[in-house]
Amino acid sequence: MASVELRSLTKRYGDATVVDDISLTIAHGHLVCLLGPSGCGKTTTLRLIAGFVEPSAGEIRVGDKLISSPASTLPPERRNMSMIFQSYALWPHMTVTENIVYGLKLRKFARDIIAKKLDAILATTRLAALAQRYPGELSGGQQQRVALARALIVEPETLLLDEPLSNLDANLREEMRFEVRRLHDAYRYTTVYVTHDQSEALTTADLIAVMNAGKIEQAGSPEEIYNRPHSEFVARFIGSSNVIKGKALDNARIDFAGSPLLCVGEPMTAGKPTPVSIRPHDIGISTGKPSQSENVVPATVVRQVFLGDRRDYMVEAGDGTQLRVVTEADENIPRGSAVWLHLPPDRCRALAG
Amino acid sequence: MKRTTFSRRDLLIGSSALAVGGALSTRVVSAAPPASAVTPELIAAAKKEGQVVWYTSIDLKLSERIGKAFEAKYPGVACKVERSGAERLLQRISQEYSANVHAVDVVNSSDASLLVYWKDQDMLAPYVPEDVVKLYPAEHKDADGTFASFRVFLCVIAYNTNLVKKEEAPKSFADLLDPKWKGKIVKAHPGYSGTIMTATYQMSRDIGWGYFEKLAQQNIMQVQSAADPPKKIALGERAVMADGVEYLIFAERESGQPVEPVYATEGTPLIIGPNGLFKAAPNPNAARLFQSFCFTPECQQLCIDVGGLRSVHPQTKEHAGRTPLSQIKLMKDDAAAVLKHGEEIKARYVKIFHV
Amino acid sequence: MTAVSSAPATPRHAGFDMSKPVLLAFAAVLCALIVLPLSWLVYYAFTDKKGVFTLANFPRLVTDTAYFDPLLTTFALAISAAVICCAVAAPMGWLVGRTDMPLRRTVRLLVTASFVTPPFIGAIAWELLAAPNSGLLNQLFRDLTGADAGTHLFNIYSFAGLVFVMSCYTFPYVFVLVANALDRMPSDLEDASAILGAKTSYTAWRVTIPLALPALVAGALVAFLEAMTQFGTPAILAMPAGFHTMTTKIWSLFQFPAKPELAAAASLPLLILTVILLRAQHMVLGRRSYAVVGGKNSEPRLIRLGGYKWLALALSMLVLMCPVFLPYFALLNASFSKLASHLVSFNNFTLQNIRFVFSELSATQIAIKNTFVLGILAATFGTILAVVIGYVTARQAVIGHRVLGFLASAPLAIPGIVLGVGLFFSYMRPPFVLYGTLWILLIAFVTLAMPAAYQQLQSAFRAVHPELEDASRILGATRLRSLWQITAPLLRTSVIATWCFIFVGVVRELSAAIMLFTSQTKVLSVLIYDLNESGDLAAIAVLGVFMLIITSAVVIIANSLPVFGARRAA
Repeated sequence: MASVELRSLTKRYGDATVVDDISLTIAHGHLVCLLGPSGCGKTTTLRLIAGFVEPSAGEIRVGDKLISSPASTLPPERRNMSMIFQSYALWPHMTVTENIVYGLKLRKFARDIIAKKLDAILATTRLAALAQRYPGELSGGQQQRVALARALIVEPETLLLDEPLSNLDANLREEMRFEVRRLHDAYRYTTVYVTHDQSEALTTADLIAVMNAGKIEQAGSPEEIYNRPHSEFVARFIGSSNVIKGKALDNARIDFAGSPLLCVGEPMTAGKPTPVSIRPHDIGISTGKPSQSENVVPATVVRQVFLGDRRDYMVEAGDGTQLRVVTEADENIPRGSAVWLHLPPDRCRALAG
Repeated sequence: MKRTTFSRRDLLIGSSALAVGGALSTRVVSAAPPASAVTPELIAAAKKEGQVVWYTSIDLKLSERIGKAFEAKYPGVACKVERSGAERLLQRISQEYSANVHAVDVVNSSDASLLVYWKDQDMLAPYVPEDVVKLYPAEHKDADGTFASFRVFLCVIAYNTNLVKKEEAPKSFADLLDPKWKGKIVKAHPGYSGTIMTATYQMSRDIGWGYFEKLAQQNIMQVQSAADPPKKIALGERAVMADGVEYLIFAERESGQPVEPVYATEGTPLIIGPNGLFKAAPNPNAARLFQSFCFTPECQQLCIDVGGLRSVHPQTKEHAGRTPLSQIKLMKDDAAAVLKHGEEIKARYVKIFHV
Repeated sequence: MTAVSSAPATPRHAGFDMSKPVLLAFAAVLCALIVLPLSWLVYYAFTDKKGVFTLANFPRLVTDTAYFDPLLTTFALAISAAVICCAVAAPMGWLVGRTDMPLRRTVRLLVTASFVTPPFIGAIAWELLAAPNSGLLNQLFRDLTGADAGTHLFNIYSFAGLVFVMSCYTFPYVFVLVANALDRMPSDLEDASAILGAKTSYTAWRVTIPLALPALVAGALVAFLEAMTQFGTPAILAMPAGFHTMTTKIWSLFQFPAKPELAAAASLPLLILTVILLRAQHMVLGRRSYAVVGGKNSEPRLIRLGGYKWLALALSMLVLMCPVFLPYFALLNASFSKLASHLVSFNNFTLQNIRFVFSELSATQIAIKNTFVLGILAATFGTILAVVIGYVTARQAVIGHRVLGFLASAPLAIPGIVLGVGLFFSYMRPPFVLYGTLWILLIAFVTLAMPAAYQQLQSAFRAVHPELEDASRILGATRLRSLWQITAPLLRTSVIATWCFIFVGVVRELSAAIMLFTSQTKVLSVLIYDLNESGDLAAIAVLGVFMLIITSAVVIIANSLPVFGARRAA
């Protein structure tokens, strides 16, 4: 069965290179997330896959079939893909039912088959009560489900989603994240999902491709991306992260505020300034000196915020570097206190420069 | 690339060349064709065609009346009247013929020179109604039978009797140059009106261009058609018309409007309006029927009574209340000369009057 | 959750996707419509009578006062008309769009009425009103003041008279643009000014007017171009006053013997000037889009005028006297009066004029039939063409769409009479001999209507989010199908408005028709012009009133028909 393959895909608008030599394989039945800040080229990549945009260089293949290249591009209506747009793009002059069955009517299915499929999808997306309403009468969440239903009913080979949740409020967004994954598991389409929200990516994706300035910085499973970021950009983008910049003492230690810090990850070159990332909740904070001998650094509490289920500290080390530390809520260390930080070596990831 | 420019001068040169080489030309027919009567076959053929298209510069109401009279006499043959200024008719017909559009059957123009021109272009078909052959004087019919004087009228001065007392009214063209008439005169344009073209030629020949140059200083109101000034003075828009068609003055006066014609002491331009048939007419039989009708006493009398025109048909009677032609000093008409000088006249007029 | 059992199906296509060829065909038609007459024009301007290339036609334009004076006159006319239009239309647009002046909708309606009136009918009506001696207003003036027979208050046969009548019938363009721009302006902007303490007039001056400025500039430009290229009104008023404008001069060059090369050469300056002005407008306005984005419909908060609102209404009605009340009254009067310069009274009343026009005048029936047929055909075909071209340029669907956009707007630069000339030369010889048929008139009308129709539909397209069509395409519909099923219904109101606009435009078009008609293909506007030439004012009045009734009826009917299904748009 078909997988979607991007080979050296590039798109230029005038002087600006919006998508820069991207290569990615989206295995069949997998949900791949293109994650990145706005302007990184993820939406353009999606539109290239859909066929709305022609590549300046490179290819897109579905299975063995070449569908996009600078020489010729198969138009969107021939790609057997489905897409959910950021604005949902529901047709305001058609009812919910008419919106949903539009694709089936194009495929000239018999009326009874259309009715059967319609009932099934309405049940799945819980829209049965709204079938005769117009999009203008629906809430954001309901509209989003209509868009989903419309895209899924045609059983495409590939499903493309362009920031489908960004117009929803926070609670609904959380709920819909799981819904998207659930539906994906039920139908098992090849899905490409574009978002700037890392929690969406972490929740729904099999594979995350983090994009920045037109390039893929790192592609991997959620754990890989989170635990083993390759670059500073990825480290900062996924989960919050502290990045300590220190000069490397040898191939596994850097100098941090006068103390050596043992790290894992990329081998270092002595003398070279190297970034090291550590997640806020991996840092141990205590008023008394901890029992460990390695990777212990003194600091002062600059700021402290109570967040209900946790406490968020901003501490300042001897050399002025500020780090965020997150702990359980019950440890209440007031501002100004002198504390000891323990940075477990296996959590200090040295990054590529 | 064929152009649509026809210069009168070119044509005159052409036709005089032909006259010189007359023996070789087949155009000039030595004798007029025989008279044609209106036969039942002609009427039947005309009914089959269903309509005759008549391009004319006669005032609209009268031309429509003539058309309706024709339709009443020959039911089944409609008369479609296309009324436009004579010079515009020329432009129309030239434009149409240059694109091979043959829409016109019969043409009547107040600029007789145009009929001469069309005849020279071999566009007219010879056809002589009985009345013309038997009764019309020689100077009012073409020797080759291609046209005859359908209507005759004068181009007169006139005034609004409510605005001008009879004693103060102008009696000659020279009177019009008096400063007291400044801003009070309306006049038509030889570029649009065949009547005025002919009149301007006759006046420039008999009185001279100096008259026009001085007239241009009088702040005249310039209109296009010679049928317009009579209406403008009836409306009271201006007090005096320097030229315009006599027949409308009669029509208005006889329906109660306060207008009165003046026959200038220097002479009054005589306008002949001939009728001619086109060779390429789309409805040739209806055309012939119509042409015959036009020269019958009934039609001519209609022209006199209803239209205020004059006729050269000997069987017609002058209308009471109008000065008979014999009592008016007339300027002589000369269609060939108008053809020759037409362009010049228009250009000079435009220069003097700025429009 | 069980997966659906039936196998997924790919969308079936009828083999060949018609979108690209159809779009290209429409583009080709547009090119033919515009390029053909223009190239004939250029040919005639640059060659002499024998067909040899020459520049000799142009110097005459500048050296011969017979040509130079009309050029200056036209320029002065256009500027004056544009200035007056802006001065009148902008405040009225503000009053109607932004304040709580009473009867706003009525004022809007009346402005539309003046828009629907053909300018040459307005000119003739004003002749009836303001001819120095016979005009009704002047008669009234003399009666009221006891002045002598020779004095008058207004003389319509003058440059000022021409500017006045021109402005009366061009100010709706400016009004509509300004009123619409103000409609769409969110009141937050003015609220922000008010909350900082600014008075109404200050806010209007510093916030509203600058924001409406682009629309005003665009409107002024349209007014300028319209005044520059009109034929009917100058033909009626300028000649009796003793001067020519460029359009009447060009027309006179076609008097026998025709001088087409001079006419073409005289047309080029008008063309170039227009192109320059359009370019300038584009630079001033930049790439602003006037479409409503996002669908938020915040009602603009109305500015309270207080006691001034009655004054405002009175002034607006006074303005509307000029294009609407007075002329219509004069026309109705002349229709029923025995003599047009007298008011209808008991013994002056007659139905003879109406009888003459409809039963005795043989050209009436054919003119009415032709006008209707051409109006409907031109409106329908023109709208379809404008929709497709508007789509192509708004969605950049074919290569060279920018050129198409330019071509669609190009006829704005061509005076109607010039286009008539170009079309005559293009279609009077084989292989396309269309002169003498209704087709050539159809081509002329569609070409002349194209710019406005295109602009209207283009901004309508911009208001429709492209993702709506993308969503249709990804589900398997071709571009054309998406255009038909998704976009077109959403454009319903704009499409109908464009249709009406073209229809009305055809009825009032004179400049091109006067060059291209023959006795069988006469239209109402030409018939009226012919009648004016011979001074048959009463017949003109009857036909004019008839024309107004017809166009109003068509516009009203078209706006209440549920076309494209009576679906509501959200």
